[in-house]
Amino acid sequence: MAQIPTTRPAVRRRRRRRPAIGRFVFLGLFMLFVLAPIYWMFVTSIKPSDDYLAIPPVWFPAEPTTVHYTAALFAYRGLQGIVNSLVVSLAATVLSVMVGTAMAYSLARFNTGGKHLSFWILSQRFLPPIAVVLPIFLIYRSVGLHDTRLGLIIAYTVFTLPVSVWMMLAYFRSMPRSMEDAALVDGCTQWQAFWQVAVPLAAPGIVAAAVFAFIACWTEFFFALVLTSRTAFTLPTVFRAFLGFQGAQYGEASALAIVSLAPSIALGVLAQRHLVRGLTLGAVRG
Amino acid sequence: MADVKISGLHKRFGPFHAVQGIDLEIADGEFTVLVGPSGCGKSTLLRTIAGLEGVSEGTIAIGGEVVNDMRPRDRDVAMVFQDYALYPHLTVERNIGFGLRARKMPADEIGRRVGRVAGMLGITPLLGRYPRQLSGGQRQRVAIGRAIVREPQIFLFDEPLSNLDAQLRDEMRGEIKRLHQTIATTMIYVTHDQIEAMTLADRIVLMRDGRIEQTGSPAELFERPASRFVAGFLGSPRMSFLPGSVTRVDGRVGIQVDGREAPLPLPAGRISDATEAGARVLLGLRPEHMVRARDEGTGPGSIRIDATIELLQPTGSRTFATFRLGDSQATAELQAHDIGSAGETIGLEVNLNRASVFDARTERAL
Amino acid sequence: MTTDATSAISPSRRLPRRRAGLSEWSDRHFKWLLVIPAVLLILSLSVYPLLFSLWVSFVNYDFQIPGHAFVGLKNFSMVVLDPVARWSLVLTILLSAANVAIELGLGLALALAMVRSFPGRGLVMSVLIIPLFISPVIVGQAWALLLQRPFGPMNYLLGQLLGHEMTIGWLTESPWLYFALITADVWQWTPFMFVILLAGLTAIPPNLYEAAELDGVDGWQAFRLITLPQIAPIVMLAITFRLLDAVRLFDTIFIMTAGGPGTKTYTSSFYLYTVGFTQFHLSQATAGSWILLILTALLVGLLVKRLVKTEPA
Repeated sequence: MAQIPTTRPAVRRRRRRRPAIGRFVFLGLFMLFVLAPIYWMFVTSIKPSDDYLAIPPVWFPAEPTTVHYTAALFAYRGLQGIVNSLVVSLAATVLSVMVGTAMAYSLARFNTGGKHLSFWILSQRFLPPIAVVLPIFLIYRSVGLHDTRLGLIIAYTVFTLPVSVWMMLAYFRSMPRSMEDAALVDGCTQWQAFWQVAVPLAAPGIVAAAVFAFIACWTEFFFALVLTSRTAFTLPTVFRAFLGFQGAQYGEASALAIVSLAPSIALGVLAQRHLVRGLTLGAVRG
Repeated sequence: MADVKISGLHKRFGPFHAVQGIDLEIADGEFTVLVGPSGCGKSTLLRTIAGLEGVSEGTIAIGGEVVNDMRPRDRDVAMVFQDYALYPHLTVERNIGFGLRARKMPADEIGRRVGRVAGMLGITPLLGRYPRQLSGGQRQRVAIGRAIVREPQIFLFDEPLSNLDAQLRDEMRGEIKRLHQTIATTMIYVTHDQIEAMTLADRIVLMRDGRIEQTGSPAELFERPASRFVAGFLGSPRMSFLPGSVTRVDGRVGIQVDGREAPLPLPAGRISDATEAGARVLLGLRPEHMVRARDEGTGPGSIRIDATIELLQPTGSRTFATFRLGDSQATAELQAHDIGSAGETIGLEVNLNRASVFDARTERAL
Repeated sequence: MTTDATSAISPSRRLPRRRAGLSEWSDRHFKWLLVIPAVLLILSLSVYPLLFSLWVSFVNYDFQIPGHAFVGLKNFSMVVLDPVARWSLVLTILLSAANVAIELGLGLALALAMVRSFPGRGLVMSVLIIPLFISPVIVGQAWALLLQRPFGPMNYLLGQLLGHEMTIGWLTESPWLYFALITADVWQWTPFMFVILLAGLTAIPPNLYEAAELDGVDGWQAFRLITLPQIAPIVMLAITFRLLDAVRLFDTIFIMTAGGPGTKTYTSSFYLYTVGFTQFHLSQATAGSWILLILTALLVGLLVKRLVKTEPA
């Protein structure tokens, strides 16, 4: 089971100790690097518009305001974007994890389809989105799924499926079979053993897979850009409106950005135990 | 009747031939132990009986009915696993009753049965707890309880005591034996531990590389091993094997151990007349059959030899002494007071009535 | 006692054989039933669209004009001959290589710095992985804000650092343009490398280092002789995954530069996007995306083969 990478205890050295200062300075600098853009965006989102034109830049506004948040959510329809994103991401996550877990169980316990099936699923992860999204766009137009939440849900389910399958595959492989065997001997059918024993035991892995699927859907841009328009648009696509930022939309753009990234960061940090498994499709144990 | 009849059973995993042609009959109510070194196919065989693995060739019949295509749940067998396989998300009570619930037994009946089994095993106070709160021994009892409560026609045990420490293992061994005396159901027990095999079995099936080496009662396998492998597997410390040749002089048969001039005489009829003089053999002597010689002389069939002890391994009441016999090493089991230190030369009485003789090439008993 | 006990316990030893047809059938085919939904989904939303787009690339597909005439390889040759297409491929390769190389180096440095325990390490860890969970569009947005001329803080800070006024158009002048794009990508994806490499580092058994220390080998030598070979497979894995993602660069380009100025920051994905959705030359776009698909498949094949070879036994 993957977790936050555990550390080695500091090896005691008998010779001179290399000072650890360099290590901490480097980490400190990088942390600054990571936090700076986020900080700046947050500050921009609460600055009154006049402050944008200030040189030197205003590091923290004297009079913070929430006017940009309201503008972003309502005037720029950010709220609708959030709602759409939420619905689509949740639905796609549920579908993706359900279908993915079922497939992963089959692959893990029965080696269904051998190497070929599992490789085929894995390889889906590496498809260039442009190659897929173009024809899907055409197909959706002809069947009336363009600019619908349903269309996007289906697309996102397929888009997150490989990662769901592979995360759960790694998880099931690390689970001993004996409890399912016991259930079979005790009187369960395969289905019952799967539902009543394997799935409850895999709950942590399922939650992790769900978190990563959700984040992937929540942050996805390209598919949403092509497949949605005025009705079903998702949160990332709202940022199109802020293109050409010679206008003074910095506040709205920043406000929306902060609203968007808060939940996914929170989720991601909570699920970081399973991060390595999610990133490498289970190829590496964290 | 819950007898088991296995005919011509083969099980392959891809190119790996785990079980190679097993024919085995287990009588109703018998306690059969499948024992052998790792990888010999004993667990695989057990799992095919349970239905957890399919069969490549051959048939398995339970109570006269061929069960090859039957799902595990329909075979009316119960299994106790090495790692207990308790359901972590269920309480002990629900663990034990799981199978009954799956078969839609009425709730009050389940409650009664679970309660009775818990009482039988002494785990009633644990019913509300979860497996993670239990010790290894307690978990194993719950696992056994889960099997008992279903009142199956066959119990299967897959190395159930391997994860317990030595003291607990001794205790649980006794409990399992007592269980068989109480319930008298057919039990098939897999282990790699020869002590468990010897103490628990009505019948031992010793396996090697997917085949049966020998079956029989523990006494039979111990006293009359069919091959060197069987002889070396059972008994601790191991039997000593001494290469040598058969001698026939003046109508008397003996074994001339390599490196020792005087042949060791064998009692008449010990090996058949078909074995010629000069045939290469292995003489097998168990440590218990070589004791400190008494001054009064040796018993019939025994012979006295002088041995210089090279290595001593004291274990409290007994001491195992390794010495040279001709070119080879042998180990005798002595009382602690029989010997002082290594390097001493003492007289040993070797009981050749109990010796085993194996063909040097085929390693089968003669 | 024995026989009495048994007959008292169980009235019937025979379990009724339930030939529940559906239950047995679904048990027998259980493993296939589980994979069918996933396979169907992928067939219909991945395989079918790809085949459809292949057809589109061989015909003259247009919304306005009905009837799709077969035109052979014309669309493909139009793409291949388009200088913008070729430039976008070159840029994609260069940017990807630069991104991955920098992310690898920084990620390794971070992993080495984080390998040992220290107070507050958990907090640092949480901060370091933040960029992974942010939409790339927002990352682009954030950096655009920072780098914006003239009011963005970057120019100001650089000016303070270097002593004279800086007016670099980070999003409009080359070569600063590319630094901006690389910086945004590095910001977002270095943690990716970091997390994977850290997992690899912590998997190295400490007694390798202890044995080496007894032999008199430590410090830089230990790093070269023990650490690097041990993490080589993980490094390959990380590069494979990252590179295959890096070549799809689109979102940050869209937000930060919109491909501009002109076509200076067109990556392959962005190029195909404009061809397909701005100019609506759909057949050309699909032809181009199939070329990209084949190139990506070659890259996957190459990298995965390498990857499998460096797996420790």
